[in-house]
Amino acid sequence: MQLSLTINNKPTVLDVEPEMPLLWLIRDEAQLKGTKFGCGKALCGACSLYVDGDLIRSCSYPAQLANGKKITTIEGLSENETHLHPVQQAWLEVQVPQCGYCQSGFMMAAAKLLEENPNPTADDIKNGISNICRCGTHPRIIKAILLAAKLKNDGKRG
Amino acid sequence: MENADKKPKKGFSRRKFLAISGSGVAGTLALLYFGRGAIRRKISDVTSEMDIPADVSNFDHKLWFEVNADNTITLKSPKAEMGQGIFTGFAMLAAEELDMAVEKIKVVHANSLNGLLSNTAASNSTSSFYVTIREVAATLRETLKLQASKLWNIPVASISTKDGMLTAGDKQLSYADLAKQITKWETTETPALRPSSQFKYVGKQQKRIDLPDKVLAKPIYGIDTTLPNMVYGAVLYSPYVKGTLKSADTSGAKNSTGVLKIVEETNWIGVVATSRYAAQTAVEKIKAEWDYNPNVSTKDLEKLITVGNGKEVNIQNDGDTDSVPDEVLTGEFRTPIGFHGNLEPSIVVADYKDNKITLYASFQNPAYLQTSVAEALDLKTEDVAIVPTYMGGGFGRKAFKSNAVEAAKLSKAVGKPVHLLATRQQEFQNGYVRPNTHHVLKGKVGKDGKILAFEHHLATGPMIFNSVPAIAETILGADFILAGHGARCAYHVPNVKTTIWHNNLPFETSIWRGVGMFANTFAIESFMDELAHKAGVNPLKLRIDHCDDTPQLVRRKKLLEIIGEKSGWHLPKSEGVGRGLAVCDDRKTVSAAVVEVKIVDGAIKIVKVIQAIDPGKIINPDGIRQQVEGATMMAISASLYEQGTVENGQFVQTNFHNYQVVRLSDTPEIEVILHEGSEVPSGVGEPPLSPIAPAIANAIFDLTGKRLRSLPLQLVLQNASNQ
Repeated sequence: MQLSLTINNKPTVLDVEPEMPLLWLIRDEAQLKGTKFGCGKALCGACSLYVDGDLIRSCSYPAQLANGKKITTIEGLSENETHLHPVQQAWLEVQVPQCGYCQSGFMMAAAKLLEENPNPTADDIKNGISNICRCGTHPRIIKAILLAAKLKNDGKRG
Repeated sequence: MENADKKPKKGFSRRKFLAISGSGVAGTLALLYFGRGAIRRKISDVTSEMDIPADVSNFDHKLWFEVNADNTITLKSPKAEMGQGIFTGFAMLAAEELDMAVEKIKVVHANSLNGLLSNTAASNSTSSFYVTIREVAATLRETLKLQASKLWNIPVASISTKDGMLTAGDKQLSYADLAKQITKWETTETPALRPSSQFKYVGKQQKRIDLPDKVLAKPIYGIDTTLPNMVYGAVLYSPYVKGTLKSADTSGAKNSTGVLKIVEETNWIGVVATSRYAAQTAVEKIKAEWDYNPNVSTKDLEKLITVGNGKEVNIQNDGDTDSVPDEVLTGEFRTPIGFHGNLEPSIVVADYKDNKITLYASFQNPAYLQTSVAEALDLKTEDVAIVPTYMGGGFGRKAFKSNAVEAAKLSKAVGKPVHLLATRQQEFQNGYVRPNTHHVLKGKVGKDGKILAFEHHLATGPMIFNSVPAIAETILGADFILAGHGARCAYHVPNVKTTIWHNNLPFETSIWRGVGMFANTFAIESFMDELAHKAGVNPLKLRIDHCDDTPQLVRRKKLLEIIGEKSGWHLPKSEGVGRGLAVCDDRKTVSAAVVEVKIVDGAIKIVKVIQAIDPGKIINPDGIRQQVEGATMMAISASLYEQGTVENGQFVQTNFHNYQVVRLSDTPEIEVILHEGSEVPSGVGEPPLSPIAPAIANAIFDLTGKRLRSLPLQLVLQNASNQ
């Protein structure tokens, strides 16, 4: 099935099996490797990305549902590598990742959380993101999201 | 103080892989196979104190470093980065001798074609390379100076190095500009190392050099490997433990869209297809029947792993525990099967061409990959090239039992590179697990609050026997090296006995972060708490009182005093809060934790964790803090929630919906205290994991008076409350 979609602002046409998970379209067809496979059942969040602005778990999202839609992956979160998204800036400042494998999913979830709640409390963050990290970066993720909120709000004011 | 700058043994330069980790130990043991009990105790004495040396000792700088045209230096790491932060520590160590900023040193994974490879395990990467990397870096610096002296025709002594430049009077050249002119390197002798008092980077906060790539989500992991003409594999394995393939109908799979090849092996069936989805879809169309034992269940495994069952090996016998007349306190503990849950599943890209193969692998143990694939495909080991990648977590799962042989055979079958990724269900059902354990502790406390006798009887499946020759099981009797790690009583007690009861479980059991230390510390440190209450002595004081003047116990005592003060151990607690303490000595690192818990809606809530660690010489303080925080979270997960079970011959757990792990909502306040109690660095990845479970259980006792003696604690508390 031929799908037309916009991936990180780039119009893309791909011919794939309609039921193929969007994750594999992004990784293996569009060659964007930042979105990760973790569980295949939408349980861990490593494959999180945006479809028309909604946060979804792409391992369990049939590619055909993305037809005609706008996809944003971790590679499209920042304007470019010298102008990082506040979440990525905070992630570096707080030194969050260890193995780093789950982090793109967490950063996508964090950026979405801040869009919906610009001033989250630690409890909002704890209850708002259910992704899995096995290295145990949880304390730093919470700290980094609080910092990212500040960076984002300061940026708006500035 | 120990001599931190001692040189590792040299004299066997080798640009090849070491044998599978642990076989050195087994080889030594084979020589000792003439006795039983006493010899095993002796081996246990030796191995429990053993330093694991750097297992690469080739100082040819070309195998370690490349001087780049932009005057940066690339360090080719024999150890793999799976989140521990070792690449940053290595860059810091190299910078000390190379006279370059840490930022100018790039660290990459060595591969078998361009450098040296080593097993990444046992928390020993930084400690075992602490001297080695500085020596190779110093050798490179002196070699550059020697080459410059020839070029400039002046003595070496008149040349100095700074910020990547060689200078002598008005002559100046960058390392890169000099290296360009060298056609034949003449390597110098390794010079004396700079003393730690002159360190510029070691001990100071250093941002991790791998994080920019990780935050930008660059394609650095095994799963991200992409080769020209690469196709995708998927494999059907037995969903049952030790299941064997009886019959299979692959006709549906053959006709499935995109399928290039079906490979039927004795115990697995592989599909190669043009996409991963096509390969997986085809595998699901295979109708297979399996022979298996449907009667394997957790209930029976607990019976099997019970003190008194199996082969008994005494590993510690000081004094005579029976000679003490006092009343015996007995405590019985259990820990369940544990899965690793590394978020990146097993992944290998195999590229077979002309009787040679290259394996791109997210794996801890390159030697295992090389030997297992060479054997399975009847290749010479030197024709199996290993290219390690960053790992999306390891935790011991990526040390053995890879899917590399399957990937290799699939690649050979289609003559193209094959990307083979395990499914999450396979990661649960077809890997290996941390064995369940049973512990019987016995103690006698005198009227003066002194422990007079201490016995630990441990029943466990092995962790080591998939990494050593089969003869090791006969020689050792039980796995006191890995599964028995931490089983011995570390405290100064006059009469001590430690015994292991060995039985093999009906599935593969092996290493998990911390190996046996996790279960053994849960049992021993919970029981120390019980003894303290029996003796009417504060649990902190009881522990301190049983530290004598041997070096590790001096360090333990000091760390206990520090955590006692910093945690406010003797200060009043808030309403509804329980406080517990535990400590362990792991990889020569001392690690102590104080945990504060609450019970909220009948469930355990960890409020605060104070972790104190003495890892010896501190290389990167923030790197250590990261490891301590991470180990704390993983341990909370394993203590409260994680439990593998088997029913009807099958692991029940197939994914994270039935294997609960911690989430952000479980995050307590975590405070990390670093204490540098030695000039020699020791392990950091594993040690802080093990005090958490007993500290939580002790805190629950403090709060509720209930002694929880089995993991996972959340479930055990709920069951206790429902009774």
